[in-house]
Amino acid sequence: MSIQLVERDLDRLESLWEDGLSDAYRSYLEAVQAYEPDAQPRLALAAALIEIGLRLQGLGGRAAAAPTLLMGDLCLARSSRLLAGAAPQSVQIAFARAIETLSSAAASGSSALAPRTRELLLRAFEAT
Amino acid sequence: MIGRRLRFETTQATEFVDITDRLREEVHRAGLKIGRLHLQSLHTTLGLAVNENEPLLLRDFQVLLERIAPEGAGYEHDDFARRMDVASNEPVNGHAHCRQLLLTGFTTVLVEDGDLVLGQWQSVFAVELDGPRHRQLALQLDGEFASPLSPFSGEGQGEGRGRSAEAGPASQTLVELELARQLLVDPEPVATPMRRLVEAGGKRMRPRLVQLTAGIGPRSEPLRAAALAAAVELLHNATLIHDDYVDESTHRRGQPTVAAAEGPERAVAVGDYYFAKATRLIAEIGNRDVTSTIAEALEAICASQIDDVALRGAFPGDHDSYLRVVRGKTAALFAAACASGALLSEAGPEVVDALRRYGDLVGVAFQMADDMVDFSPSSGKPVGLDIRQRVLSLPLIYAAEDRTVGPEVRRLLAGSLGDAEVGRVTDLVISSNALDRVRDEATALVETAVHELEAIELDGLRPILISLARSAVDRTA
Repeated sequence: MSIQLVERDLDRLESLWEDGLSDAYRSYLEAVQAYEPDAQPRLALAAALIEIGLRLQGLGGRAAAAPTLLMGDLCLARSSRLLAGAAPQSVQIAFARAIETLSSAAASGSSALAPRTRELLLRAFEAT
Repeated sequence: MIGRRLRFETTQATEFVDITDRLREEVHRAGLKIGRLHLQSLHTTLGLAVNENEPLLLRDFQVLLERIAPEGAGYEHDDFARRMDVASNEPVNGHAHCRQLLLTGFTTVLVEDGDLVLGQWQSVFAVELDGPRHRQLALQLDGEFASPLSPFSGEGQGEGRGRSAEAGPASQTLVELELARQLLVDPEPVATPMRRLVEAGGKRMRPRLVQLTAGIGPRSEPLRAAALAAAVELLHNATLIHDDYVDESTHRRGQPTVAAAEGPERAVAVGDYYFAKATRLIAEIGNRDVTSTIAEALEAICASQIDDVALRGAFPGDHDSYLRVVRGKTAALFAAACASGALLSEAGPEVVDALRRYGDLVGVAFQMADDMVDFSPSSGKPVGLDIRQRVLSLPLIYAAEDRTVGPEVRRLLAGSLGDAEVGRVTDLVISSNALDRVRDEATALVETAVHELEAIELDGLRPILISLARSAVDRTA
């Protein structure tokens, strides 16, 4: 698996790579083994961007300051573009549902009871 | 008969708020073909008037009201010692009540051919007499409505109607129904704030563009188009919720923002929920090109928002920076709305590309017109908000470049911006030729957008797309 393949998708987010994004990316690589080799890095990066993006925004906790929130938004948007290009429809839908679950839990103040982000995203890769 | 409420916020003690466009929008949304629009003030210090929107004349009216019922002229109403049950926050406003007596509290405007019947110089005003305040008017529309099931179109009639029904009230009703249906199934903590935002109005430009362009290709499916249009509108609103938090805005469409009303944590969550839901609804449509088109636009919006905030350090910025930000922040979703509708209808690539360029140009022009609204006291929006929030604004950029007023504008913008500074900058912008330059530039962009449509087959929709483009910049009257 080559990290080179995903570097072009890190534009503006380079600073996040050393700040948790690369670790999250690697942790998702195993979950994407069943997909086409070309799609694997982008799918793993998409999941990592959602995890980091939500964390940056402070979803379920204290809201981030404006510039950090916007970086989080960009992470989610980049993830959405990566999924649109590389993921089957069922996985795109499952990822969106994962964010819906987490954000509605945050809005109702029950984040502590919601499944963990990584758990939901790993499950989303199994959607068919 | 349809009943509605029109909500808005005033910013001055006395203010003539031109509500003509909003009334026109209500008539279009209701699908009223011929009949009457009844309008009633729900306040005792807010009047109504039909007159000319000419700034100096509005000043004349204000002076006249002040002369007839001057402030502090010993009104018995202001003698709280003699009144029963006076609230602790009761304002001293005898003059405002007396001025309201000189105006009217209700009026009726006739509707024909799906539009208000007004003379060339007539505008409808809500007249604030004791502002600034949150205000509302009661509306009732009665007469002959387009059937929600009939393909009536209020625009583009007579000239190549073709599929112009795609733009009509029936299809717009489909979008409203789809929005309501989607919000009905969502958890209340996220649905309630979004419902408040959606029901507060908005121009629905993006969903209209989706629906129009979804009628161009060989595969025209109104229900799929309405689903896509509603998802695009939800996505747009999701971005607004985060924007309002970032900009520290307290009100939007006359309602408190989600961040102001329910806190930033809720705003982040609601924005995320509808970002995700909208992308899911689009994915469920099952057209990969459409999904990619919208996702790319969303990315452009987010990247530009970061640039926008970064540029506030160099406020008011320059023309090139402005265009770069606006292309992403506003025009990207206009372009994507046009392209995705066309893609959904399986229009040819040359048609999709031309519509994408059309949407981009109209989106930039729309934002320029929106910038000008910030300097219009009769727009219904607080004047000078962009200045106060240091938001990129083309009239400000041009005023800062102006040889006469530029030095003072730049000096004021470099310091802290209180009411006096914002008021002075507003006056300087109005006194310069900045607004004329912006209007000319926006108009030129719209004409270029219209030109983009000339070489493609649009199956009768050209007049409506032209009308829509021109209406995007015609919002300051």
